[in-house]
Amino acid sequence: MYESPIREKLILGGKTYHDISSDICRPLENKASKGWWIGFTLSAIVLAVWIYATTYTMLVGIGAWGLNKTVGWAFDITNFVFWVGIGHAGTLISAVLLLFRQKWRMSINRSAEAMTIFAVICAASFIVSHMGRPWVAYWPIPLPNAFGSLWVNFNSPLVWDVFAISTYFSVSLVFWYVGLIPDIATIRDRATTKLRKFMYNYFSMGWNGSTRAWHRYEMISLILAGISTPLVLSVHSIVSMDFATSLVPGWHTTIFPPYFVAGAIFSGFGMVLTLLVVGRVVLKQEEYITLEHLDAMARIVMLTGTMVGLAYITEFFVAAYSGVEYEQYAFINRATGPYWWAYWTMMSCNLLAPQVFWIKWARSTPWFLFVMSIIVNIGMWFERFVIIVTSLHRDFLPSSWTMYAPTITEVSILIGSFGLFFTLYFLFVRYLPTINMTELKSILVLKDSKHSHDKSEKGEAHHG
Amino acid sequence: MLLGVYDNPDTVLEATENLIKSGYDIKDVYTPFAVHGLDRVMGIKRTRLSTAAFVFAMIGIASALTLMIYTSVVDWQMNIGGKPSFHIPTYIPITFELGILFTAFGMVSCFFIVNRMFWGRVTDVIDIRVTDDTFVIAVNVHEKTDVKALENSLISNGAIEVRERINEI
Repeated sequence: MYESPIREKLILGGKTYHDISSDICRPLENKASKGWWIGFTLSAIVLAVWIYATTYTMLVGIGAWGLNKTVGWAFDITNFVFWVGIGHAGTLISAVLLLFRQKWRMSINRSAEAMTIFAVICAASFIVSHMGRPWVAYWPIPLPNAFGSLWVNFNSPLVWDVFAISTYFSVSLVFWYVGLIPDIATIRDRATTKLRKFMYNYFSMGWNGSTRAWHRYEMISLILAGISTPLVLSVHSIVSMDFATSLVPGWHTTIFPPYFVAGAIFSGFGMVLTLLVVGRVVLKQEEYITLEHLDAMARIVMLTGTMVGLAYITEFFVAAYSGVEYEQYAFINRATGPYWWAYWTMMSCNLLAPQVFWIKWARSTPWFLFVMSIIVNIGMWFERFVIIVTSLHRDFLPSSWTMYAPTITEVSILIGSFGLFFTLYFLFVRYLPTINMTELKSILVLKDSKHSHDKSEKGEAHHG
Repeated sequence: MLLGVYDNPDTVLEATENLIKSGYDIKDVYTPFAVHGLDRVMGIKRTRLSTAAFVFAMIGIASALTLMIYTSVVDWQMNIGGKPSFHIPTYIPITFELGILFTAFGMVSCFFIVNRMFWGRVTDVIDIRVTDDTFVIAVNVHEKTDVKALENSLISNGAIEVRERINEI
């Protein structure tokens, strides 16, 4: 019987199991390349900007920012939502695509999960710095205290957010680490230096590849994926409820949770593309992260971008249909008011630009994908800016209408947070395998193999 | 203990099946990745970690509800905007999050315990290549076992190498 190939092969170049180990471990076993040092140094310099600007904010207070009494939330929360959103693609790739049995996720899930963790660290840093008094950042946690037993308000979405973000961070970290253990064991057994042997042995927790352990491992991976899927949906839903449960026109919409989740996946895939289009060339992983993988990610970018665009239009429709004049004004003001340029940047980057992915060339040309991924990142940053600032700056009383502009400190914190993110990412690339070797080995089709043990989902042509 | 070393997941699966049919006592099979079907062939019972996960989820949900009901209903009620203190719908997000948190940490801790894994454990790998590209079947050798016949059947099932190991793993 002849089965037609549904997809291109996921791993090119006729690799063996050993080739996979050597190729993926090469960046962390060899001396760091010049490119790595340049990238790491640049990131570290930008990180220094972040440290300076954040410290300055903590010493001076929120007065260092451009906030005023009408616009009390602006750059800080824009950046928080932006970074949390970016994190979502990692969980989507590793958990949702695992449940849907999308094998192409295996080349990209490790780096996407790393991206999740680092992005959530960046997001958390904005939460802490926007508090004004970061030394009391533990107040949203329900601890017994001496303020007359004053507990936190569990009816507040901001408290839900504390639980959601910290659960999301710790569960993602566990999921990532569990996925890393067999790969750490591979590096341990290949190690040539004493220090590397010791470190990777320490973190491999004695993994020895026993079938009994693998049996349990498969089970917990499946359950972790199963619980991470609703978790990732809940986290951005709760982030959106920070806005949606308020009474501010432009925020008070029931469409927010699905709209935020779609936007999060969209922006996250944008960031994954940014990282991987460059990473696959620099780390010489073109045979593992093939054009087919980039194509699949571009399709998701297009799909979620269109969903987000649909949400923008739906919001307009609902405002018009509601007959509430405040609601209607908020949206007219968004599109034609003083921040019109931000609104139309958002619309063109998020709804219009991804439509080029209907064309095959656009989905399979790396340099173009890189440009598009930057556009997506810019568009999604502006989406949050538009939602937050344009809804606030003209409130119910025209006498308090005002404009908001960020100060140099705020811009430095935003730029610096990219330094934090990329410093962590460069360290990850240097010390951990950026591709899940064990999963890749399980989908590898050996050249001389009569049949594969898992033929149904390989997308390979079988003769027999 | 006799070790048969293989280089292909299909061969190792067939070899395991044949050896079990011939009545040999297979201790374990060590593979670089999860070979599907191997656990079934070896007759490994379905792990109870999924039950553990469920139990931890319930503990998480119960703890979250207890925490919220105790603090905002029993211990110190607060009137914020006239909204009720005891309001189950607004308890759902945190109940859900803590359920997930407890499930993940509880289940993964159980996984480490049943596998006897801990940070810094001195690793005893059966063959250093087993985390790279090699598959090893470890067969227990008893007094009655015909070692020669076992060796032959390991080789006839495609082993590239047969070795003996004295120490238990």
